[in-house]
Order: sequence, then structure tokens, then C-alpha cells
Amino acid sequence: MTTASSIAVAKRVVTNLDRCIECGSCAAACYVSHGNMPAVNFAQSGAALLPVICRQCKAAACVEACPVEAMVLDEAGVVRRRIFRCIGCGSCARACPFGVLPARTAGVPAGFRSTDRMSGHQIPKCDLCEDRTAGADGDVVPRCVAACPAGALMFVDEHRAAAEHLAILGGRTTGENPYKRR
Amino acid sequence: MSQTEQKHESVPRCTLCPALCSVVAVQSGPDAWRSECEQTDQGAMCPRGSAMGDLLGHRRRILSARRRRGAQTTHVDIPAALSEIASRVGGTDATILLDGNLPCEEMAVAAAWCKAWPGAKLCLVIEPADEQLLLGIEASGADYLAGADLSECDGFLIVGDALAANPTCAKGIFDRRKTATRTPIVVIDPGAGTGSKFATHVVDTAVGGELAALAAVAAAAGLDAAAGDNASAAAAGKALAGCKRLAVLIAAEHARGAAWRQIGYLAGQLAKAKGGGVAAETFGANALAAVRLGPKLGAIPLAAAAENTANWIAVGCDPIGLLGWTGRNILAAACPLPNATTDAAEIVLPVALPWEIGGTYLGGGARSVKTLAMLPPPAGVPTPAQLVESLARAAGIGACERLSAPDPAARTSPDKPSSAPAPAKAPSPALLLGRQAAHAGSGALSGYGPWQAEAIGMPELRVSVEDARELGLKAVAIVTVRANGQAAGARVKIAPELKAGRLVISEGFALSRALAPCRADGGQMAAEPVVVAVSKESASAE
Repeated sequence: MTTASSIAVAKRVVTNLDRCIECGSCAAACYVSHGNMPAVNFAQSGAALLPVICRQCKAAACVEACPVEAMVLDEAGVVRRRIFRCIGCGSCARACPFGVLPARTAGVPAGFRSTDRMSGHQIPKCDLCEDRTAGADGDVVPRCVAACPAGALMFVDEHRAAAEHLAILGGRTTGENPYKRR
Repeated sequence: MSQTEQKHESVPRCTLCPALCSVVAVQSGPDAWRSECEQTDQGAMCPRGSAMGDLLGHRRRILSARRRRGAQTTHVDIPAALSEIASRVGGTDATILLDGNLPCEEMAVAAAWCKAWPGAKLCLVIEPADEQLLLGIEASGADYLAGADLSECDGFLIVGDALAANPTCAKGIFDRRKTATRTPIVVIDPGAGTGSKFATHVVDTAVGGELAALAAVAAAAGLDAAAGDNASAAAAGKALAGCKRLAVLIAAEHARGAAWRQIGYLAGQLAKAKGGGVAAETFGANALAAVRLGPKLGAIPLAAAAENTANWIAVGCDPIGLLGWTGRNILAAACPLPNATTDAAEIVLPVALPWEIGGTYLGGGARSVKTLAMLPPPAGVPTPAQLVESLARAAGIGACERLSAPDPAARTSPDKPSSAPAPAKAPSPALLLGRQAAHAGSGALSGYGPWQAEAIGMPELRVSVEDARELGLKAVAIVTVRANGQAAGARVKIAPELKAGRLVISEGFALSRALAPCRADGGQMAAEPVVVAVSKESASAE
């Protein structure tokens, strides 16, 4: 483990805005498989409520901001939260330039945390479903991607994203109506 | 694959919509499970499917019988409860309301016992709007489409919020649009649901005016139908006129009037004329089978069963919540989890979840699919058919003649629907109910999903920008919605694509449906849009 690295994660979860139907499948799949502590956040953008998922930054601000070294960049370039170190201070959430890490319980699709478990004091963090993807072949994808019924979420490297004409966006989406981009 | 061809691979599947996505249960603790979809990106699992695993061992699961005495309920053993139901029925008629989205085998066994039980009538319960829609499509003779079929179509007509009703159908549409960017996507939805955001043509549709809008589109596309003077419909119809394989996707929305049978018929005719088919995005995976098998199994329509509710015995379904009724009492309800029907029942019994029973479903594309149970039911919890058998035996019926299971793939030929009644004057402001991906039906099952309970604990109220400004509402504000003498809390979502004077509330909640309940109307159950009032809640409500 390291706190800062030039390692880039091999694949990221990217969202195709032209396909997202706001069904919440990604958030629900993440929620039930991560101890009711989901890492899929949502951003309201004009008419749309779009999923925002950690982009596993190469130079992650959340890692730098964490006062207890709970956030670390692993050998594969995935930013991980060490669950027993996290004190739920929210520093990482405030530091994230993309607004991906949910910082408070909102009760709405803007990120929420379990309050009835130990994990209620911790910040949810996408681990790219390492229990599924670690050591698996190239076809295995995180649960949010597998669950997406519209094919809006993809687990791809930057080359494939470029080939598909997909920009890997930050967490926040700007513009009044992202559907008009077509 | 032909429509009668059967998929033989037996895996557990989500039975909450016709997509029949494969979902498996993964143990996540002692007596706790969760849903898991396929490892790769070949499948899908919408929020409803995500809820299924957690419901297997849900803490509120009904595992024993209870008898209601006033506001209190007391434990009673199942044989005593069955005897009491049988004695209460006595020589009078009892109506068994069986979930119409069970496997065909369950429906056939239950029907056999009801046939042997004098005075017992069987009613297969599906959404009333779905039933009318499917009868109309069956009468039209159109093919059924689903899943991968959609990516081969060169035009799409979406009626109602079909993308929310079955999120997997979006993939086929988007896959087609990726290869042919000018593919027309026409949407008819006065509630401005999900499809409106992706439409190339949004048809200007009045409240309760889906049939008129569809007729205008069909006329402009070359069909012999009432053209009207709807310019947006004419433009949309022209865009579809050149289609060689048109897909018509329909979600028969609750509280949108009584014309779904005519809509299904006209949509089927249009799809046939354009070389395509219809995708009926129903609640539950087996609604088409229930429509086809019901008459063969001697089932009575829900409208006929609704004439006398006192001796209702609901098995595996939530008719009270589904119809949006309040203040009713029924004899008994056998349900896996509490719902509006168990709240109205004098005797409550346990029963298996639909995904604890394997069997044959007629899913999307009218394709027959064999499913496996995710898990067997808990010890002592009967399947719906076993429960009907136990009820019949408690009533003194020793045996029944096993009916040979009718083939659900055999198409029925209902009569061409008569003209639709003239739509009532649209209320203003009008409350419409709209589908959402989070819930199935009245939310009697999916509402217990952990994600649903935390993230979507109350209905969403879509409000136009103009109405939000006029009412002083902001996004995510909590409001009280009043209609039909009922009130429901809801969370505001500003919907720029929605027209002023229309408010759309999520229909996946029994309390939402109570705002616009179903009534018997000309031999069918139907709900109309209603006048609505919205008031802001105090901040402490959140």
C-alpha cells in the first residue's frame, strides 16, 4: 500500500449519459452487496439524476486528505478505504473534487450511509467489487456495471473508452440537460 | 427463436417483470441472503431484482398464521386457521384471489382444487390495466417482442413509461440507436416518464388521451385510424411511416383511464402493419399466461370478484393495495410479507415468495421459460397451490381431478374491443400515477427491499417547473398530496419535461394508489386521473 503513487488503475467504471435511464439499479446492487453502505452516488443535473462513481484518481485528493491513513492507493491503482481505520470524519468527502464520496445522510439519492451498523460512522468507498473482480478474467465486472439494464455503465480502460467516444468524466456533470448532448 | 420455443435452461430468475433476468441468492449471513446478478455484463438486475434476496429471510416475513380481533392479532396454528376459514365460508361462496404471476403449474393445481370445491371461485389477480392491454394485443394478433428483438427494430413507439416498467428494454433501443442514430423514438406519455428524455418525437398527449394520441400517430403512419388535429402526433407518425420493423412498447399505467384494451388493439394493429410487434411491459412475468389460462382454468374476472369482497381469500397477492382500496375487510390473506391486504384480513397465513417456486413463465416475447426456485420456502410455509389444496381439504374436499396444464403459449382470440368510452373531462390539476424502476406493482414485496426502504421510503412526486414555481416547491421537499379523500407524503422532483397542471406520483406504493383507486367500470376495473391538492409539510417531517 502507498499513500501517493503514479499507478493508474487498469479499468474504470464510466457512465454513458446517453443511456442512463435513472433506474437506480447500480445503486441498489451496490447497496445490497456492500453491507448496506453504497458507493454509488447521484448528481442532479438539470433534468437528469445521474450516477457518479469513484474514478480511482491517480493522484487522489481523498488519500491526501485522510488524517488517519484510512484511504490508500493499492498496488493496482485502486483507492481503497481501510474500514477499521476510518473514523468517518468526512475529510475525504470534502476533498474529493468530483463530489463522489457521500458526506452526509440525505435520505435521497445523493448518497446515504447506514446508520444502524458500525459502518454508519464510515465513508462508503467504491472498491470496484474486488471480491468479484480480483484475479478474475477480463469479462468480470463490478456489480453496478453487471446490474445496469440499459448498458449505461461500462468497466473499461481508457483506450476502449476513447474508441467508444466516451469521455471519462468527473463525478459532477455540468450542463442544464445532459441528454441534449446527443 | 420462435414464440412457442421454450428456453430449457433452468436457472433462478426474477419474476417481477417479463424480462425474467437470472438472479441468484448469495448467503450473506445466518438466515440472510442477497441477490447477485451474473458475473459478466451480459445480464442485468434492476432494483426490484436486488430486493429479492433480502426478502427470503426478511425479519418481517410472515411465517405463522394470525387471527385479527379488533386492532390486535393473535397467533393461531395453521390447521386451526384453515378450519376457521372453511367454517366461515360454510355453504356460501368463497373467492380465491390467486396471484396471476405465479408459474403456470401453480395456477393449474389451484384451479383444479377450486373446481372440486363447490362454491369456490378462482380469480387470477394481475394489474387491471395490464389485463385489458393484453386482451387488446391478443385480439390484434400482433407478435410479441422482447429483449434482443428490440435492437433489430428500426423504429420505436413507447406508450407509458415502459423503460421504468422494464429497464432492460432500454438496452435494445439504445443498441439500435447506436448503430442507426436517426432511429425514430416516439413517446406517448402525459406523465413524461423516462422515455420522454430519449425521444426523437414526444407526442403532445392530454391527460387520459393516450388512445387519441396513438390513433393520430397510427393514422399519420398510414393506418386507418382517427387522425385528429395533433401536429406532434402527425410528425411522429410520419417518422414511423417508413419503418420496416416497428416495436411498440407499452406500460399500462395505473389511473390513466379505461382504454387500455383499445390501446393494446390499436398498437398491435400498427405494429403488425409495420412488420414488427408489441412489447407489453407488465407487472410480473406471467401476466400474459394468466390472461391466456384464466378462461381455460375457469377463473372469473377481477371485476366480478369485486362485487363481494367479504369472502375474499387472497393467496400470494395484494389486491387491496393494487386496487388502491381502503376501509375494506376480507376473510383471509396468505402473503409472504405484510401489505394492505393482510391489514384488511381477519386471518393471515404464510405463503411462499414467487421466487421460492420454480415453474413455467411466459415472459417477454411470449416465450415460455422454465425457472428454478432461488431457495425452497421456509419449513412449514406452503406454496400458493399447496395452500389452496389445504383450504379445500379443510372444507371437506378429499380429492380433485388434476387438470392437464393448458399450454400458455397457445394464443387466445378475444373479440375485437368495442369503442372506448369517451374520456372524462381531464381534472385540473391532474394527478397521474407513474411507474418507477424501484418497485413492482403496489410495492407489496419490493417495498421491503433494503435499498428501497432507505433510499425510496416515500413516493416521488414529479412536478413541472411552472407548477413548482407556483406552489413554491423545491426539489426533494416533502409534501402532502391529497386526492379522493386520502393523503400521502411524497418527495418532490422537478421534471422540466412535464407539462404544467399535471403531477405524477410513483404508483409503487399502496398509499399512492389509494389516491386514485380502481372502480368497476363496464365489466372491468379501471382508475381515472383525479384532481389533486399539494401542500408543503413542516420541515420536521423529514
